[in-house]
Amino acid sequence: MSTGVGIWRCRTCSTGYFPERLLCSRCHTHDFAPDRVTEGVIEEITVVRHVLGQTDWAPRRIANVRTVNGPRITVGLRDEYGPGTLIELFEEGNAPFGAAKLAR
Amino acid sequence: MFMNAAIIGVGQSAYVRRPQSGQSTHTFIRDAVVAALQDAKIDASEIQGMAVTSFSLAPDTAVDLAWRLGLSLRWLLQDTNGGSSAMNMLGHALRGVETGAASPILVVAGDATGLGGYAKIAANYNIATREHLAPLGHGGPNGVYSLVTTRQMNKYGLTKSDYGHMAIAQRAWAAKNPFAVYREPLTMEEYLAAPMVADPLTRYDCVPVVAGAQAIVIAHPDRCPRGRAPVRVRAIRNSFNYDNQEGDGLQTGISTFAEELWQAAGARPADIDVASIYDDYPAMVLAQLDDLGMILDHDLATFARREIGERRKPINTWGGMMSAGQPGGPAGGLNGISEAVLQLQHRAGERQVKGARRAVTTGYGMTLYRYGGTAAAAILERME
Repeated sequence: MSTGVGIWRCRTCSTGYFPERLLCSRCHTHDFAPDRVTEGVIEEITVVRHVLGQTDWAPRRIANVRTVNGPRITVGLRDEYGPGTLIELFEEGNAPFGAAKLAR
Repeated sequence: MFMNAAIIGVGQSAYVRRPQSGQSTHTFIRDAVVAALQDAKIDASEIQGMAVTSFSLAPDTAVDLAWRLGLSLRWLLQDTNGGSSAMNMLGHALRGVETGAASPILVVAGDATGLGGYAKIAANYNIATREHLAPLGHGGPNGVYSLVTTRQMNKYGLTKSDYGHMAIAQRAWAAKNPFAVYREPLTMEEYLAAPMVADPLTRYDCVPVVAGAQAIVIAHPDRCPRGRAPVRVRAIRNSFNYDNQEGDGLQTGISTFAEELWQAAGARPADIDVASIYDDYPAMVLAQLDDLGMILDHDLATFARREIGERRKPINTWGGMMSAGQPGGPAGGLNGISEAVLQLQHRAGERQVKGARRAVTTGYGMTLYRYGGTAAAAILERME
């Protein structure tokens, strides 16, 4: 697990992207700098309770998160906090996760 | 407007929840092709072009399918745009016939992934999904569109039962469609009591994966069988990656061209008798209808309760994919086009909308990351 989520920020116009892009959609340059977003606010949450073809599935909480100074991303949630909660972001592999600041 | 190209015949295979031994994507497509050729009264040897879409044709491609079907062609296309593939192929085929590149052209879509196969497709839909969504356990498109649906409910003040009106109305249409996989009536009590899949989506909000195929035939209107009206496409428009996934997903790419579409068609939303709206999820049906300008004052809740709940608007009259079933994804869009053709040719049997002359059909799909990236719409008209 690593702190924050890696994003790609356009060196020309500072727009942040996740997932990675080939060209900036604003200025169409291809010079990106790696950056990290460490916090975000939960906007919507779902609990995935059933998955096609899976018989032994543990429900997963997934959220749409507005990152601070970055893009909106989809994260896995590690706790029960709801919409409006400020969460800390972290990565497991290439996947973004989040947990409430108070809880960690 | 296309003056020298029209849809003259349609056909489909059986739709089944689980493909049986001996059934495959190829055999379903074959059955649909045979039915469409028979319907159009065209011999297979006359076919000069073919367009195909499928999530489960690989490792075969379009030319393999042509070979297996014994079709020697001079025009061939394989489309990969998911829920808007059928609309995309329709546009290309119309232009192919209109410009003399080939005629007749078969447009074909089919899938028989099975549940396990579909789950693999859903987890590996694109690189973004494979690397950033599947590891979360997002559950494929259900997880993605549950978030979009919540967003739509919050923005427009929709309740769960508003979506229920759509599921119930489409099930009532499906009862009149012998090809639909779910035909028994659905009540609001049953809808609201259904098991949760991905909050707030319950079982009846999630399109059921089936195996099956569709085919339509495009040719000069003169080739239409005697006594049957050809169906002309007055206008068709497409959109791909309309907002770089930087919006909220509550508008689709249709919003980028709707005004131009109506203008090119010389029609208004009020002129439409039948609508085939790509229905992978109820929220996206409302989004597309709103983008088309068919929802007064963007009041989605009132539209759901009155126009759909009280059956004032014939929408997805074959039952939609939510009741008839969705073969893989791409083939579902062709079902909506086929139904519009049957309605405009006054061949829809028990579900015929009296005097139908104009229809709108749409496609929507290819979830890039947070919502779909492709969309298309067309205005179809009965030629007298």
